[in-house]
Amino acid sequence: MLTVESLSVAYGGLTALREISLVVRAGQFVSIVGPNGAGKTTLFKAISGTVQPIAGRITFDGHDLLAVAPWQRAHFGIAHVPEGRQVFGSMTVMENLEMGSHPQSGRHDWERNLERIFALFPILAERRSQAAGTLSGGEQQMLAISRGIASSPRLLMLDEPSMGLAPMVADLIFERITQLHRNGLGILLVEQRVAEAVQSCDFGYVLDTGRVVLAGNSQTLLADDGIKSVYLGM
Amino acid sequence: MQARRSLIAPLLVIASLAVAWIGLGLIVSNSYYQLMLTLVPIWAVMGLSWNILSGYTGLVSFGHAAFFGLGAYTVTIALVHFDITPWLGIPLGMIVGAIAGIVIGYPTFRLRGQYFALSMLAYPMALLYVFEWLGYQEVPLPMKRAAPAFYMQFSDYRVYIALAVALLVTSLLISLVVERSRFGMALIAIKQNEPAAEAAGIDTFAWKMRAIVVSGAIAAAAGGLYAVVLLVVTPGSVFGMLTSAQALIVALFGGVGILWGPLIGAAILIPLSETLQAHLGDVVPGIQGVVYGVAIILVVLLAPEGIFWRVRDYVQRQRPPSALPVMPMPPRAAVVEPALTPPRQRKPILSVNGLSKSFGGLRAVADASFDVSDGEILGIIGPNGAGKTTLFNLLNGYLQPDNGKVVFAGHELTGLKPNRVCRLGIGRTFQVVRAFPRLSVLNNVVVGAYATTSNDADAFAAASKALAQVALVARSDTIAGGLSNKELRLMELARALAGEPRLLLMDEPLAGLASQEIEDLLALIRSLAAQGTTFVIIEHTMRAMMRLAERFVVLDHGRILTVGQPSDIINDGKVIEAYLGQKWAAIRAHG
Amino acid sequence: MWADGKPIVNSLGTFLEIFLQALTAGILIGAIYGLMCVGLGIIFGVMRVINFAQGEFLMLGMYFSFFIVVGFNLLWFLGPVLGPYTGALLAGPALFAVGYALHCLLISRVTGASVVGTEGDGHYAQLVLTLGVALVLQNGCLILFGSTPQSVRTPLSARAWEIPLLYDANASLFLNKARTVAGIVSVVAAIALYLLINSSRLGKTLRAAADNAAAATYMGIDVDRAYRIAFGIGIGITAIAGGLVATYNPFQPYIGLDFVIIMYAGVVLGGMGSILGAFWGGMTIGLVQQLSTLVLPTQLQNAAIFVIFLLIVMVRPQGLFGRATDRI
Repeated sequence: MLTVESLSVAYGGLTALREISLVVRAGQFVSIVGPNGAGKTTLFKAISGTVQPIAGRITFDGHDLLAVAPWQRAHFGIAHVPEGRQVFGSMTVMENLEMGSHPQSGRHDWERNLERIFALFPILAERRSQAAGTLSGGEQQMLAISRGIASSPRLLMLDEPSMGLAPMVADLIFERITQLHRNGLGILLVEQRVAEAVQSCDFGYVLDTGRVVLAGNSQTLLADDGIKSVYLGM
Repeated sequence: MQARRSLIAPLLVIASLAVAWIGLGLIVSNSYYQLMLTLVPIWAVMGLSWNILSGYTGLVSFGHAAFFGLGAYTVTIALVHFDITPWLGIPLGMIVGAIAGIVIGYPTFRLRGQYFALSMLAYPMALLYVFEWLGYQEVPLPMKRAAPAFYMQFSDYRVYIALAVALLVTSLLISLVVERSRFGMALIAIKQNEPAAEAAGIDTFAWKMRAIVVSGAIAAAAGGLYAVVLLVVTPGSVFGMLTSAQALIVALFGGVGILWGPLIGAAILIPLSETLQAHLGDVVPGIQGVVYGVAIILVVLLAPEGIFWRVRDYVQRQRPPSALPVMPMPPRAAVVEPALTPPRQRKPILSVNGLSKSFGGLRAVADASFDVSDGEILGIIGPNGAGKTTLFNLLNGYLQPDNGKVVFAGHELTGLKPNRVCRLGIGRTFQVVRAFPRLSVLNNVVVGAYATTSNDADAFAAASKALAQVALVARSDTIAGGLSNKELRLMELARALAGEPRLLLMDEPLAGLASQEIEDLLALIRSLAAQGTTFVIIEHTMRAMMRLAERFVVLDHGRILTVGQPSDIINDGKVIEAYLGQKWAAIRAHG
Repeated sequence: MWADGKPIVNSLGTFLEIFLQALTAGILIGAIYGLMCVGLGIIFGVMRVINFAQGEFLMLGMYFSFFIVVGFNLLWFLGPVLGPYTGALLAGPALFAVGYALHCLLISRVTGASVVGTEGDGHYAQLVLTLGVALVLQNGCLILFGSTPQSVRTPLSARAWEIPLLYDANASLFLNKARTVAGIVSVVAAIALYLLINSSRLGKTLRAAADNAAAATYMGIDVDRAYRIAFGIGIGITAIAGGLVATYNPFQPYIGLDFVIIMYAGVVLGGMGSILGAFWGGMTIGLVQQLSTLVLPTQLQNAAIFVIFLLIVMVRPQGLFGRATDRI
């Protein structure tokens, strides 16, 4: 589904990513972990088009993403839930969801998606007319994820969804994400909280200073002490 | 090594320009061209005045007409009502302009970018209406046939040209002094990165006020001379938008932030528009405005900083790059190894007690308390969003804490502005290095020495010493725009060292460096620490920090999790949890 | 004076009459200012662009209306009353096209994604560029149209409705018909725009792009196109306001300058980024301007507006409706 080949990104003289390669197959849950500055968010930005790579390829279902403007990529079936939620604070919950359904596929499935969203996150149904900026951090994260779902994507990319959330709320979010995966949605998750990310995934990559230093399925990574040393620098 | 560029070249240029201009004035007899020869210098002076405030600092003023008009009206009213000659009236106008600068600057400098520009627009327009209301619709200057020279009225037009040139030369000299002294450097630093300038000890508000006072005085002088030359003053002609626009365009077109810019701009634009106005003005009224408008649009799109820079950059690119060798770091053997006193026995130099800061409902830093010992290297670590940079901003003075105290070497820091904190001996480097790309490395570094030295010679000496400390002396005269990433970081470090700080706060100094470069920087920090500087470093590159820092403070969600030595931190369950997640240990145990 | 009640009632009555007159004038003019401010508010709210040339587009709206109604007399079939107002409304789409084109050609080069991260985030360049555009438009129109003041007269311009005030048989309120109709049309136009921005999909897309351009791009919204449309709408709305002003106020190419500071004062007062706020801001400025005639001589009215503008910017920069988190 999504293939990243030898991607390199540099800005202002700093090389943020060096020849990264990864694959997300249809319906797979892939986690990307690594300490700060490892390049995780840069990777996301390259996929969604916010930064331009200096080398490499990104393809989604055969489409060359680098040849396409950033705003068009959402229309291929990739939904991006950015770091820090980034909800439209001045618009209501419903309006945020409407914006999420902007691509054709989203408009087509609007009713069905709305049902699913409210079943997954009932609190959003309650707060549907509230301005998104007044929601709590956890609720905003739910909204951001729902916004992503509203476009009927085949791949949902999440950038550090647990950041700034209380542990219990973060747990709930993770649970919902795994639920979405069980229902068939492909997930690409970037997280700093390694435990949950590695446990729930089908396949994981560990990034450090712009390179993939470890890769493997869930069990392999959990058994490896290498992750701890990447984070704590032993 | 040159401490500063020689003044001889610009002085020669100014002198020859003056001589050439007056020579032209002696030759030309057509009264229209004589007027032009008078107007070009006057508008060049306006451009120079605009440059001093807006060109160097980057605070765009759309309201210089306020000072121009005040100068014009001071001269006019002094002459009409009090019979005071313009020879005194113009200096009086300069005083009025300077005062206006203070009155306008004090409230308006609190505003940023767009709001500043809009507000500056409002002042001359308000004055326009006020003066119209006061009844000064059109005030001709009375002819003084009894003693014309005493009242600055001359039948020979060439005297006016000479006066205009004299004003221009004075303004050029003032600009030269500003540009080449710490005044100009401080302004450029403010434009480049105001927070960094504050942290380097520059009292940004004070320098901005000085800039507007000088700028206002010069603009008022131009206005005063304008009144004398034109012999009639209307609110629209001196307070109008075209006047403000002309000041701006002349500088912008010719070159922003450099002495010669307004000269070039005035020399090209004024004759162009005045000629078009004279020849086509009847058929196409308003041609002047169109010319200026088109000139602005072209400049913004094609040469955003003015012709001077565009040409100079082009010329510099044509030259082959200088073949300077990459400066190697001193061999390891020469590096002084860390002091023998174990950390526990050193006295605390910085005490943080109960420091808290919230933004809205979010607690960014909660009840942080720790000490930093004199001469140690302390690492501040923690996952993303833990509050590390906020903590630094609290220590530095960018943010005021809600609660808590910070005491440094006996002084209480809480509530002080960043430049005062710097003067007390705390330096800071930033994650993103904002250099002055067109200046030499030495000039980039000298800004850091202004807080601790009173004259320029000492400042340059301190800067050179700092460059020696980071082994960047060979690059002193290199233009900063051509430095590598590592060299930029060293330069940033040198700038902080130039202020001879006792404690240095470094925010992610290793970001983006290759492994050998990291090693070199670590060695440098160790040797500086051995010489007595205390370091507090935020970093994410854990592997490197493990070998550098003697102690760590671990933050998570704004709280201090633990403080301890590297070996203790790595095995601390709470720390592992903060980074890897609560369930890590549990999952592994079941694993 | 209390013994004989009449004089006090009279002077109070006269004051009340003058006051009410100024108040109604303020409301009517305020509505038109409100519409102008909404135009600027859209541009600033969506794109954070300070458009120095906004007053010139007001002026272009006036001339557009003038040319199709008076100059070329294209709307003769609508009669002398409907013609001018239709002309004003038509100025909207016409200037929308001009604004859209201007954005494509010039404005986009100094705003948007390409300049984020450059010195000052391109704000400086925007300011100066639009200043250049203003100069070209002002003086270009001076060349093309001459400096003779024009107006788009309607039979309503010189007539007024008389509304008797109930407390005194001799007192009444005079509502200039042209201004009243212009005011009403302004309110209607503002409401129509409000509905467009709030309820239509296009409007929501614009609001999303204004709120968070990066997130909007993730949603698949073409933010650059949104900016172009927003700019065009902002120019078009202000042009309609211009066409309306033309029905009761003579104009010449430099008239834009008189209104620029009114528009900015209104937008800043109402809170940058709030369309509703911009309207109320404009309304307030109109009220202040007309009410100040009670205490200030005419020439100082405009100076008063500047003073208010400066006060707002210093004391409460987020305006009445703006979000407090809006960083200056």
